[in-house]
Amino acid sequence: MLVSAVTLGCALLLGQVEGGPPAEVTPVEVAPAEVAPPIIQPPAVPLPFQDSERPALCLELPPTPNVPSGQWRAQCSHEQRRCLITPRRELDVDGQETERFLERVRPCVPEEAAPVPNEELRTYRLEPSIADAPPGWYRDERGRVMQFNFDLHRRVWLGGAWSPLWPGDEAREDRVRLDFGIALELAARKRLHRLHFLETELSLGEPSIDFSLLRYDFSVERDEPLFRITTFFGEPRRYDVSINLGVWLETLRVEDLERGEARGGFLTWGTLHATLDLWHSRDLVSYVRVRAGPSAERDYENGISTLVPGAALEGNLTLDRDGFHHLRFGMEAEKVLLSRAVEGRPLRPERLRLSAGYELILLAINDQPLSLVADARGVWRNDIAFLPERWEWSASAGLRFSLWAPARRSAPIAEKARD
Amino acid sequence: MLALGLALLLASAPGAGPPSPDPCLPTDSRGEPFPTCFDPGDGWVVGTGATVRDGVGALTLHSSVRIRTGRTSRSKGTPWFTNHRLLGVDLWDGERRGWGFTAYDGLLRRHLEEGFILIPTARPVRIPFPFDVTVALRAANLERREWEGPGWTLETGRMGLLVDPLRSETGRAWLGFGPVASHTLRRAGDTTEHALSPFTSLMFDLGLESEDGLWALRASGLAGWTLGLEGGTDFRARADASLERVFLAVADQPVALRLSGGYVVGDAGLSRRDEWTLGAGLVVRAFSARW
Repeated sequence: MLVSAVTLGCALLLGQVEGGPPAEVTPVEVAPAEVAPPIIQPPAVPLPFQDSERPALCLELPPTPNVPSGQWRAQCSHEQRRCLITPRRELDVDGQETERFLERVRPCVPEEAAPVPNEELRTYRLEPSIADAPPGWYRDERGRVMQFNFDLHRRVWLGGAWSPLWPGDEAREDRVRLDFGIALELAARKRLHRLHFLETELSLGEPSIDFSLLRYDFSVERDEPLFRITTFFGEPRRYDVSINLGVWLETLRVEDLERGEARGGFLTWGTLHATLDLWHSRDLVSYVRVRAGPSAERDYENGISTLVPGAALEGNLTLDRDGFHHLRFGMEAEKVLLSRAVEGRPLRPERLRLSAGYELILLAINDQPLSLVADARGVWRNDIAFLPERWEWSASAGLRFSLWAPARRSAPIAEKARD
Repeated sequence: MLALGLALLLASAPGAGPPSPDPCLPTDSRGEPFPTCFDPGDGWVVGTGATVRDGVGALTLHSSVRIRTGRTSRSKGTPWFTNHRLLGVDLWDGERRGWGFTAYDGLLRRHLEEGFILIPTARPVRIPFPFDVTVALRAANLERREWEGPGWTLETGRMGLLVDPLRSETGRAWLGFGPVASHTLRRAGDTTEHALSPFTSLMFDLGLESEDGLWALRASGLAGWTLGLEGGTDFRARADASLERVFLAVADQPVALRLSGGYVVGDAGLSRRDEWTLGAGLVVRAFSARW
């Protein structure tokens, strides 16, 4: 940082005096010979950022060895006669202006539309700075922009993981797991809609596939509390109790698995659950909730259509401001009803699933995050004929590459992030 | 014959008029502009020709829809270059009859002038990464070879995560290479085999086109191992290339000569044979003129 700032500072200082002939840049009739060349101040450490809320003016200064175009962006305080300036193009590692214009900046205001002409601005105190960047993006001293805040709830992901399985007391089965999915969030006023498309988990080794075509749910923050409690110990105090109910839907889910000679195949036509948020974050992105409701399911291995009521406690927490840390957990129970008798399994089988996982963004390649995923799962089920009743545990560790992943809606601007 | 007739008519048309400011749209003697630049990534492609497959000749017919777009990502502010090929149909007749169908085949490349890897330290660190990132997708690639008996081969899906060192600023040049995952079904009689490649294969895809779109070179390759759900692994490799040169336009629709060749190791047809092909033909790229 210090080296870059000094580099930029040297570039700017070099440029203020040794520029080209003033007559080439400033017409004689508007720049009398007695007008002193503009003076650029030494750079502060760290360099200040321009304000993304305020317009930047296009400023032409005499060409310099490092900024030969003489094209700058300036944010000025006319009361203080002071401008924060930055070249309009990116700099290379030596502080030399490149051909690339700054990315993700709003166009600067041309001189014709500026409240103060360039000639007047050149007499202001000119201080080197870094151009502003949109929320969630950071700009370095060379003017290059990069994303530092990622929304993993809006992405297309593709991942792979080592995912060993411990079926009961048997020896460990090594597996590889591939996963894919599309996640989308739509924010409305006090309501957040979540959509997941084509979520797929494919395990190789002891083979299994879990696929769902579409899942939808929403979280809501109700304006009116369902009821309130007033206490009269000392000063009366009122506590509002809100019930934030929502809906969770899933359609066309396929679960197909093999365990030795036993084989299970289940097609869920649709699931409709009511949800109750026990807690959610102010932006509704993170939550802990319970949900319950029925599913219509087809056991295609045995040719049976069944009704499967289920209930779950689950959470999805984004632990930091920039969306790098995510914790997910769940506990789900289901009971299969309306089944006919199948040899090798009870009349009303049950399933219990536990899971906990963590996802951490390790780095970003061209602004696309690459994350580390680790999770642990446990399943107990007796819905597969001749499969021993036992807990099956698995763990996994792998990587996910995410496309899209824009900045979070709550992303700060870089200056505030630095603070 | 019709095409030849039209070509002769075009050849006998009056000479070019005064020079036009757009070199892709010169004007004729009547002042009417006519296109001389084409986009090989756009239009409805129909082609016919001859192919030699392992020494056995066949007549071929091809059709597909190509769509090329370039748009700026709203979330990242950088350009995406995409090449889509939809509803590709190939028919070949002769001693070895068969057909193939591809629902979708696409390349989606995100271009950065200066690629990098961001290390998320307190003050982000930027490491140069001189590649564009490309996603290669293919869905529903079905092939039926009648001479092999009843059965078919269906690649249900393929996805590659590629890097592109060319980093072209246009959609006319690309070179992507990287790992690919795929799933293939082979149905022979009553038996269905699944073959999975969970990123155990590498692929490349190269495209080079002249600025006026008269020349187009395309090459691709894939090599790696597939895993059978019933156990076992198989090595397969394939490479193919084609070169197209537009030599005339009929009613502003370009007609190109197409030369192609390919080689497959352990992946051709139901019996996973080795196979080579050579082909030559004509293709019409309708609606690909750049006006």
